[in-house]
Amino acid sequence: MALEFVLPDVGEGIDAAEIVEWHVAAGDRVNEDQPLVDIQTDKAVVAIPCPTTGEVLELRAQVGETIEVGQVLAVFEPAAGDAAPTVKAAGDEAPAIKPGADSVPAVSSGGDAAPAQPIQPRRPLASPAVRKLARTSGIELSSLSGSGEGGRITRDDVEAALAGRSGSAERSASEVNGGGTAPPSFATPGESAHDEIVPLRGTRRAIARALTQSWQTIPHVIDYREVDAGELVETRLALRARAVRRGDARVAEALTLTPLIIKMVAATLPLHPYANASVDLEREEITLRAECNIAVAVAAEQGLITPVVHRAQRKSIGEIGLEVGELAQAARENRLRPEQLRGGTFTVNNYGSLGIWLGTPIIPPGQVVNFGLGKLEERAVVRAGEIVIRPIIPIAVSGDHRILDGHTLAAFVSDVVELIERPSLLAGELR
Amino acid sequence: MVVGEIAESIDLLVVGAGPGGYVAALRAAELGRQVVVVDRGGPEGGLGGACLHVGCIPSKALIELAHTRAQVERLGAAGLEVESVAIDMRRFQIWKQEIVDRLAAGIGTLFKQASIRHIVGELRFNRPDRAAVLLPDGNVMFLEFEQAIIATGSRSVELAELPFDGDRVLSSTGALALAELPRSVAVVGAGYIGLELGMALAQLGVQVSVIEALDRVLPSFEAALTRPVLRNLKRLGVELHLSSLARGLQDGGLLVEQRGATRLVPAEKVIVAVGRIPNTDDLGLGPAAVPVGEDGRVQVDERRLATPRVAAIGDVTAGPALAHKASAEAAVAAEALCGLPVAFEVSAIPAVAFTDPEIATAGLTETHAREAGFDVAVARSSLGASGRAATLGAREGFTSVVSDRETDRVLGVHIVGPHASELIAEGTLAVEMVASPVDLLGTIHPHPSLSESLHDAAAGLLARPPVAVG
Repeated sequence: MALEFVLPDVGEGIDAAEIVEWHVAAGDRVNEDQPLVDIQTDKAVVAIPCPTTGEVLELRAQVGETIEVGQVLAVFEPAAGDAAPTVKAAGDEAPAIKPGADSVPAVSSGGDAAPAQPIQPRRPLASPAVRKLARTSGIELSSLSGSGEGGRITRDDVEAALAGRSGSAERSASEVNGGGTAPPSFATPGESAHDEIVPLRGTRRAIARALTQSWQTIPHVIDYREVDAGELVETRLALRARAVRRGDARVAEALTLTPLIIKMVAATLPLHPYANASVDLEREEITLRAECNIAVAVAAEQGLITPVVHRAQRKSIGEIGLEVGELAQAARENRLRPEQLRGGTFTVNNYGSLGIWLGTPIIPPGQVVNFGLGKLEERAVVRAGEIVIRPIIPIAVSGDHRILDGHTLAAFVSDVVELIERPSLLAGELR
Repeated sequence: MVVGEIAESIDLLVVGAGPGGYVAALRAAELGRQVVVVDRGGPEGGLGGACLHVGCIPSKALIELAHTRAQVERLGAAGLEVESVAIDMRRFQIWKQEIVDRLAAGIGTLFKQASIRHIVGELRFNRPDRAAVLLPDGNVMFLEFEQAIIATGSRSVELAELPFDGDRVLSSTGALALAELPRSVAVVGAGYIGLELGMALAQLGVQVSVIEALDRVLPSFEAALTRPVLRNLKRLGVELHLSSLARGLQDGGLLVEQRGATRLVPAEKVIVAVGRIPNTDDLGLGPAAVPVGEDGRVQVDERRLATPRVAAIGDVTAGPALAHKASAEAAVAAEALCGLPVAFEVSAIPAVAFTDPEIATAGLTETHAREAGFDVAVARSSLGASGRAATLGAREGFTSVVSDRETDRVLGVHIVGPHASELIAEGTLAVEMVASPVDLLGTIHPHPSLSESLHDAAAGLLARPPVAVG
């Protein structure tokens, strides 16, 4: 029996995706879990594996085409003995397969029978004002379930969806934008016929919307420090040397400054719960996070991506280093899984590798701190009345001023700075 | 480059000044754009376009005259005695022209206030960002534009057997410019344009025949809606030739073929109203890289963009060729080109036939709703039960409401009767607002008024008694 493989729900709120690349062609013999297709959601490029072992009968979408969750991606003829395959879609989502041969094909009414009225009867139930609000807010009405009678989507539903974005980092990026009251952004008409107009899509659109929302809704307070990183550098080199001696070159390679800082942040956060939190103004709630899920900014080809090191407080520096390395690699190769992008509670952004001294980290929706690391450089500083040369790392830590006051943010930053300056204090974390 | 082909750089070009073009121009100007409107002027052009000059407005002027005459006769039973009613078409033409000129001047004033530049000339694109304009004095100017909106409208279809000659064979334009009433008229085409004109002329005392290729009149409206109109056509003595084809002129009239048999229909004048075709063939859309379908219509997306820099609206795009559709699209196109997040996503485009009685419809008919798979409920309230209709001398007509039981929403409203064109706005709002029939029932309608009929139809859906008749 032929299998119709539909686009699985690859992540919360994502209801459509663009085909980036097919890894198989009709007629190919494939194995279960072999790469099938790369799709671009609003969050990232996601690789979807073949659902079964057998033959590819048909690919139902072209590269560049946008298809919706539940729409058929490809049709397979499972190999004999594999007739009742359990299919895992990308991520841990439920199987998204429906039998093809027995099912009734979708009937499209013929052109003649089409009503003269251009009504789109099956679209979301919403009044023109609500439709306009959703469109200007960048919210897909079809992604909302209406709270009104008979499932009507009300103004409140759209506004709740807008507000909900700041309450959870796990919302679909497609729902994220700069808020309904944002002034219209006028497209600059081309200077000449040779100007190129690039549609704002996918990851870039998600970034644009998320950052607009963050910048417009989160009052940022930024704590700038220049931190003596002499001991940090020594510690890193010592840890590296030890990893090499132990024959673990992978760990040695992974031991950049980032995992060390992540470890120090994760070790400090339990003492400063308001720095590992989210705030929801609509519900008038602050959520203090139990886990330190540290999102790490990675510059990928399609733009800034922030994969997440989950439960960083429970992991060793080496483990964090390996994971950051793998996440960055996966981000650059477009094979991050949705769960690797979800659930961040705190962001670390090491832009020093780009040569930047002081940055202005922007807090992602659903979090309250973005910890920016500048370029580590030797600088002239004064110690005990003498000018000395020390390795200095500049940090810029942005906090959400709605729940973090200058002094509460400073208290958190001071504790991290203490660890950066004296990494041996991390020994206090040993259990 | 040839000398003289130096193009003037402009911001937003709007081609056409009808209800699509002028609305788009005003909206874009409001958004801060420098707008240049080019329209070809002439008898069917000018500010306001065909709608104002030779379409909607002049035809309503004629229909008002005709309906008022009919109303005078209707109220004879109420004691209105008029010795004789005379129609002076010359006076009518002056009156009509005053209306048209005043409204066109109003658009001109709006343009001035918005600093919109208006150029009369025939425009042809020669590049994706350039167009040539043939000016009335024979000179050509070139415009290099950042963005453009195509709103050139449509024109009457001409039949090969009956080419328009401005004398005996007229388009709707010619029919509305008659300086004298002919004794007999044959109207070819029983769509809303042909039937509105034919009915009005019949009410003014002209002997009218209507020739239609299909087997019914007003084929774009549901048959039930057309029945009161059909009965009035009979009363007016209009001769209907359905499933018939016009074959050409003869001295005495029009040759009409029906099922192989040919006969002569008396026709001092012949009005051909068999449809409209989009004005896209002579625009240079190829060089402009604007996609055009086989039907001659510009292919646009939901923002009405045909290319990233060119939008198209109104009759040159798919959908009904109606002025209010063009105006609604105009705002969308102007805003889309200004980078606003918009889409043409209406649920209902109301359609009206200004026949006697009027027919107006918005949203899905019962048939279309069933085809679309809704759990359909329909209720109808007859005008016979309306106190206000009775005092207007109107008995025939009804209002029907089509709803979806599953989502408890109004899918369509369909009205036949006096002032249906006005009454349909409430039905359109109900469809657009996803209103429940309960919303209509919970809204107090003034008594006595024709609008109660929509309330009563909603009551029928909910199986509640209608309001008192008295």
